[in-house]
Amino acid sequence: MKLTDLMTEDLIQLHLEGTTREEIMDEMVSMIDATGALTDKEAYKEALFSREQQGSTGIGFGIAIPHGKSDAVQTARVAFGVKRNGVNWDSMDGKDAKLIFMIAVPEKNAGDEHLKILQVLSRKLMDDAFRASLLNADSKDEVLRLVSEM
Amino acid sequence: MKLLAITSCPNGIAHTYMAAEKLAKAAEKLGHEIKVETQGSIGVENELTAEEIQAADGIIITADKVVDKRRFQGKKVLEAPVADGINKPEELIEQFESGDVPVYGDQAPTETQSIDQVKQERKQKQNPLYRNLMNGVSYMIPFVVVGGLLIALSLAIGGEPTEKGLVIPEDSLWKSILDVGAASFTFMVPILAGFIAMSIADRPGLAPGMIGGYIAANGSFYGSEAGAGFIGGIIAGFLAGYIAKGIKQIKVPAIIQPIMPILVIPLISSVIVAVIFIFILGQPIAALMEGLSAWLQSMQGASKILLALILGAMIAFDMGGPFNKVAFLFGAAMIGEGHTYIMGAIAVAICTPPLGLGLATLVNKKKYAKEEQEAGKAALAMGLVGITEGAIPLAARDPFRVIPSIMIGSMVGAVVAMLTNVTDNVPHGGPIVAVFQAVGNVPMFFVAILIGMVVTAFTVNILKKPVEE
Repeated sequence: MKLTDLMTEDLIQLHLEGTTREEIMDEMVSMIDATGALTDKEAYKEALFSREQQGSTGIGFGIAIPHGKSDAVQTARVAFGVKRNGVNWDSMDGKDAKLIFMIAVPEKNAGDEHLKILQVLSRKLMDDAFRASLLNADSKDEVLRLVSEM
Repeated sequence: MKLLAITSCPNGIAHTYMAAEKLAKAAEKLGHEIKVETQGSIGVENELTAEEIQAADGIIITADKVVDKRRFQGKKVLEAPVADGINKPEELIEQFESGDVPVYGDQAPTETQSIDQVKQERKQKQNPLYRNLMNGVSYMIPFVVVGGLLIALSLAIGGEPTEKGLVIPEDSLWKSILDVGAASFTFMVPILAGFIAMSIADRPGLAPGMIGGYIAANGSFYGSEAGAGFIGGIIAGFLAGYIAKGIKQIKVPAIIQPIMPILVIPLISSVIVAVIFIFILGQPIAALMEGLSAWLQSMQGASKILLALILGAMIAFDMGGPFNKVAFLFGAAMIGEGHTYIMGAIAVAICTPPLGLGLATLVNKKKYAKEEQEAGKAALAMGLVGITEGAIPLAARDPFRVIPSIMIGSMVGAVVAMLTNVTDNVPHGGPIVAVFQAVGNVPMFFVAILIGMVVTAFTVNILKKPVEE
């Protein structure tokens, strides 16, 4: 399994429309829902927001990683969106989020391979050059190429 | 500086690893060594060892979840939210540079305490074989105790000595109690093997381990008169565990992943273990038994002392396994030919392992864990009625120290009995046969048992190390 198995082309949006954290979360949940990975969209959204309440997933460096683990998720998915102007995510470093990775993980794991992939992604996101390339990517193909290099 | 870190977050999906990455990078930048343990949803990875903790200048814990700090007693520990690990790893490390970090622990622990802890951890960390074995043994002990005590009770009260051994009349209530005890004994080896395998391969290992253990314990699978006993069970458990673990590591398509742990791994592992036992290990075990029987027959003319040494060693070596069975059957056969002195020696050798180990646990409690001390008391009861298996819980925990000790004890006991012409005309062992008046030269029978017990207890307490708990 590779990250590109979890994050397919239709889960990438280089021009997010929403202007608030809530709007963008809605937008990206719909992207994941459209792939048929969710049995209950609202329940997944609830998981996301309750995680957000425990502490913002805006980890700084212009990145947010809203994530939810829920029974409503059938198969693990990662959606990726770019908001070039940035959106306020209550980030730890006070900066707006520009790169948003939304992660959906099933409650009961049929294996932990997807967790390993997310682990690699998390580590990779700490790399300044990698983040810059993602932000500057101008096609979905380029994003897929970048993440498949991990 | 040598630093260690632990990162953890509520979901264990992303922050844990981001903080780990940032801490590692920051340490490298500032010119320090660091190792980061991650506690995420996958489980603990890159685990810190006791040596590393001892050698470290300090530990950084960035976690939004409770992290067990007991292993850091007496070390400098800096705790911070996982966010700090991601956003200001350098500041965290700089706190260590300035020495501004408290030492963890209510009171500063004494030197010996922390060294003992480290030793204990080292033992657990360095020897997974031992840990897996322990897991199997601790699940097995109740089965040995329940089975052994019920059998002991029913034989002691309801048994009648016959030429086939102690027999309980079919229509007696004690027969049912004996059967219940026997049922518990039936589970002994499968449980041992199953939980060894489970310790190695998690849940998918249980079924192959138990099935393998059952096959190991039942010689009929491979044309042998006796099963491979608890030693066979240990082998089956490790085989099943490592096979299951191996299969687990094979990459499979996502679609069959969900059925791996419940269907594919147990099924394939069980079949492989069964095949190995029946076709590869089984034949040698059966052949070994035949060879040993023939060898013992040929020994009849040899010196009595040599014979007693051999029989004593065989009886104690595997406590109910093939060696024990061969020696016992040889002794039983010799009763029929009028050589009751052979069974006399065996009757002593049969009971000294549980009696001697029971004595050992009473004499030096420091060398036995709580569980072992309890098993020791049960062993005493089983020893009185000649159930050698009573020694298994203590032997299986520490085979390389305990088995030689009980072999020496049984050998000495058997030799004493042989030299003083102790006889036994019922194929059974332990003090109970004297109660049934099957023994000739009763005083020396008991003297031989006592000597065997003392030798066993003395040897094992010299060899065993104090438990570190």
